[in-house]
Amino acid sequence: MAKELIRLQDLVMEFDGERILDGINLYFNDHEFLTLLGPSGCGKTTTLRIIGGFLTPTSGKVLFDGKEVNDVPPYQRQVNTVFQRYALFPHLDVYDNIAFGLNVAKVDKQEIHDRVHEMLGIVGLKGYENRRVESLSGGQQQRVAIARALVNRPKVLLLDEPLAALDLRLRKDMQNELKRIQQAMGITFIYVTHDQEEALSMSDTVVVMDKGRIQQIGRPEDIYNEPKNAFVADFIGESNILDGTMLADYKVRFFGRNFECLDKGFAPNEPVDVVIRPEDIDIVPPEQGHLVGTVTSVTFKGLNYDIICEFRGFKWLIQTTDFHPVGATIGILLNPEDIHIMKKSEYSGMFGDYSSYSAEYDELTEDAGNEED
Amino acid sequence: MKHANRIITALILIFLYIPMAVLIVASFNTGTDITEFEGFTLQQYVRLFQDDKLLGLLGNSLLISILASGIATVFGTLAAVGINSLNPKLRKLVMSLTDIPMTNPDIVTGISLSLLFVFVGTTMLGQKESLTFWTLLIAHITFNLPYVILNVMPKLKQMDASLTDAAMDLGCTPVQAFFKVTLHEIMPGVISGAIMAFTMSLDDFVISYFVTGNSFITLPVEIYSYVKKPVAPKVYALFTLLFLLIFVLMAAMNLMQLRADQKRKETRVRVETEGMKVFKRLVAVTAAAALVIGCGWLILHPAEEKVTLNVYNWGQYISEGQDDTIDVIAEFENAYPWIDVRYSTYSDNETMYTKLSGGGITVDVIIPSDYMVARLIAEGMLLELDFSNIPNYAYVDEAFRNTAYDPENKYSVPYTWGTVGIIYNTKYVDEADVTGWELLWNKKYDDKILMFGNSRDAFGIAQYLLGYDVNTTDPAELRACANKLKEQRPMVQQYIMDEIFAAMENEEAWIATYYAGDCLTMMENNPDLAFYFPQEQGFNMFIDAMCIPTCCQEKEAAELFINFLCDPWISGQNMNALGYSTPISAAKDYMDPEMVESELAYPSEEILVNATSYAYLPEEITQLVEALFQEATKLID
Repeated sequence: MAKELIRLQDLVMEFDGERILDGINLYFNDHEFLTLLGPSGCGKTTTLRIIGGFLTPTSGKVLFDGKEVNDVPPYQRQVNTVFQRYALFPHLDVYDNIAFGLNVAKVDKQEIHDRVHEMLGIVGLKGYENRRVESLSGGQQQRVAIARALVNRPKVLLLDEPLAALDLRLRKDMQNELKRIQQAMGITFIYVTHDQEEALSMSDTVVVMDKGRIQQIGRPEDIYNEPKNAFVADFIGESNILDGTMLADYKVRFFGRNFECLDKGFAPNEPVDVVIRPEDIDIVPPEQGHLVGTVTSVTFKGLNYDIICEFRGFKWLIQTTDFHPVGATIGILLNPEDIHIMKKSEYSGMFGDYSSYSAEYDELTEDAGNEED
Repeated sequence: MKHANRIITALILIFLYIPMAVLIVASFNTGTDITEFEGFTLQQYVRLFQDDKLLGLLGNSLLISILASGIATVFGTLAAVGINSLNPKLRKLVMSLTDIPMTNPDIVTGISLSLLFVFVGTTMLGQKESLTFWTLLIAHITFNLPYVILNVMPKLKQMDASLTDAAMDLGCTPVQAFFKVTLHEIMPGVISGAIMAFTMSLDDFVISYFVTGNSFITLPVEIYSYVKKPVAPKVYALFTLLFLLIFVLMAAMNLMQLRADQKRKETRVRVETEGMKVFKRLVAVTAAAALVIGCGWLILHPAEEKVTLNVYNWGQYISEGQDDTIDVIAEFENAYPWIDVRYSTYSDNETMYTKLSGGGITVDVIIPSDYMVARLIAEGMLLELDFSNIPNYAYVDEAFRNTAYDPENKYSVPYTWGTVGIIYNTKYVDEADVTGWELLWNKKYDDKILMFGNSRDAFGIAQYLLGYDVNTTDPAELRACANKLKEQRPMVQQYIMDEIFAAMENEEAWIATYYAGDCLTMMENNPDLAFYFPQEQGFNMFIDAMCIPTCCQEKEAAELFINFLCDPWISGQNMNALGYSTPISAAKDYMDPEMVESELAYPSEEILVNATSYAYLPEEITQLVEALFQEATKLID
């Protein structure tokens, strides 16, 4: 069992009477890469700023190693932060930026020199010591920001959407880089993002947040495969979500048909949400299908086609590598492992219908996410 | 179009800088006339550096500007940081509040500060002298603050707020974060704010005028009281140096900015950073040292065991030791080494009266004119003199005792006297026309006539012409005078005071009326000018007399000073330099014989037979005269 470092207890945060965090309970382990994931305004950055000491919670406790630190100012906490827009000091060069924290702590000059050069090696910026930070590219500035935080050997590194300002290609490289650095340094990373792909590919643990509350905590695979409610199912990847009824263990009814599934433990005839991932759906000739529908739109996505298919007035998203033209009649086959059952929640009925789907949908949500704080 | 733009830009630049160019040229001129360049000389600069008084005033101005801008920069920067951290609604409110003093007219700020200082100092703390160096400093800091805030604020807004978070995250306390990060980011704003505050402080006249007593005077306040006589050319030299100082300061600031911008583009070398650091530290240490020395000097300076005598006089109304004359104040201090004279000046009786009645200052000796002496006596603002301390009063001529303004010789000792007459240019004016005051109404000289720009003197002339008493309180007579002045108005080129020197000497105007002592000066500069006393009709004779106001702290020293000025040798030397007439006949033995024999400076008994002096008029009559004068001389719309 890994050692627990930080614990958040019943954390509530209010600004001008508006509740931003609504009872957050969470702990962070040593050496863990934990991601706070959620849409803009969900409270993830607020949580991070409370851990960093820049905000004091309205109520609840922040514990470091079991001791309450609510009133400990940022400069006395053993955490360091990588800010969204890097926040490098423009009047200092790369070396002095990285050495800043050590200089404040009055560390011996020789040791500062050694540690800064060690960090430059780790982030791959050897030879850039005397460059002005403004002359560096975005990716290089990001590395300086990471080195500047890590050189202080914090127990925990907080990262606030550190890759949001980078272009897609660089973002992928930096994801790998960050994971490598985390493993090399062996410290806890608390990472904030609205990008589910980033969260799934880097984290040991993902915490999905919405409306100031934690929706689900788990390993990336668990979050993806066993979403707890319609919000998580929709936010992590794409999902078709339907109303259904749990007839008995392993037996669910929707669209006027009975299907076999792998879930159990519901009351007889309990109404449930049924999740079907677009990539799990197999397309078959109409006569072999459990359901038969008509293709209403096709979008080429590179690796696959996104097909919107109408079944009795309800539109599904299907991802397939085979092309089916608009107007074609297709059948689909649902295997028991393709069907995930969720309890009804406040989010039921809000997500999972692709009636208004358009190709721009993804980009729109992503832009909204970038605007957070 | 491009061409036109360039021409307009060039014209604007010329327009802006021509006055400075004239001043600079004048400062190198051998002659004193600004309209004629006679030859190149550095003499004015030599004179400037020999003039301890002027240099002392410049020192005062620099001291107050450096201290005020320094303190305002520190507090203004801190205030800006504070304001910036407020929530947006409150921030906007506070910002508009700090902007108001900037848009407020200086005179309002000056008077309200003066009232506050007098109230706090005199009423609450019971100080005798509440307007001092410190009130001046506080006032300057007050009006400098908004300029600093205005310059720093945008830099704070531009700064990425997460920079301070980052600094604190890396172990800085909020104070360390400010010095290590925020300050570097906002430095250009801080520097431009400081320079702006410095220049505002250096040239401020209006506010300083109201909040300073006579113990500490800045350069602009002193220069203002020089209007009685043409400005001495060494003052041009001083202005030239001041202009250069500001010019160099601004150029240095722009250069620094330019170099910083360039550096930003280049890759930096570490050695240079070290150099910059050393330089910055040097500047900081120098500034700190200057502040400490300045404060130390101030605290130690007045600590001498001396009696301080505050003398408040007209500008340029005592011999100051230029051009082989004596320095009266220095002579006095030599004779009485335990007395330290603090000398300050005013431009006219009414200003002196306002300042004195406002309270909050200590004045030991004043030299008002006759009618003002009467007013001060009537309002109980003068102390009775102890004539046993003024034995030299015995030298004062009988004609200047038992005067209308001080009939019992209790409150005043005459300092100078003079007359008002007509000055005209013999080249243009027919001698046959010079018969009396009616010359100023002669249509032949339409638009070549200058008239007094103050109500008392202007009405006086109408009264002499119409044969009324100059101290009449009969409204009907006063209205008749007003009508007479109205009749004259279309012929008058200008209603003026001190501008008369240039206008008459340059022959822009041909006929004017003015004080005889000043006419003597004009006649020296233009030999075609002549003087005439309308002795049949009568003319004004005035006496300026030394008095001790009730706010006096050192009465005995004040009486010693008055006595000293009545010494025949001192009075003779003093009047030689001033060109006014002495009420002490014994002084004439020590004066330039040419001056003594001048009919103008010392008119004979028969000329003076109809001369009269102004008495203090009741307040409502003074106001009526002023209103009638404004009406009569108002420009035709």
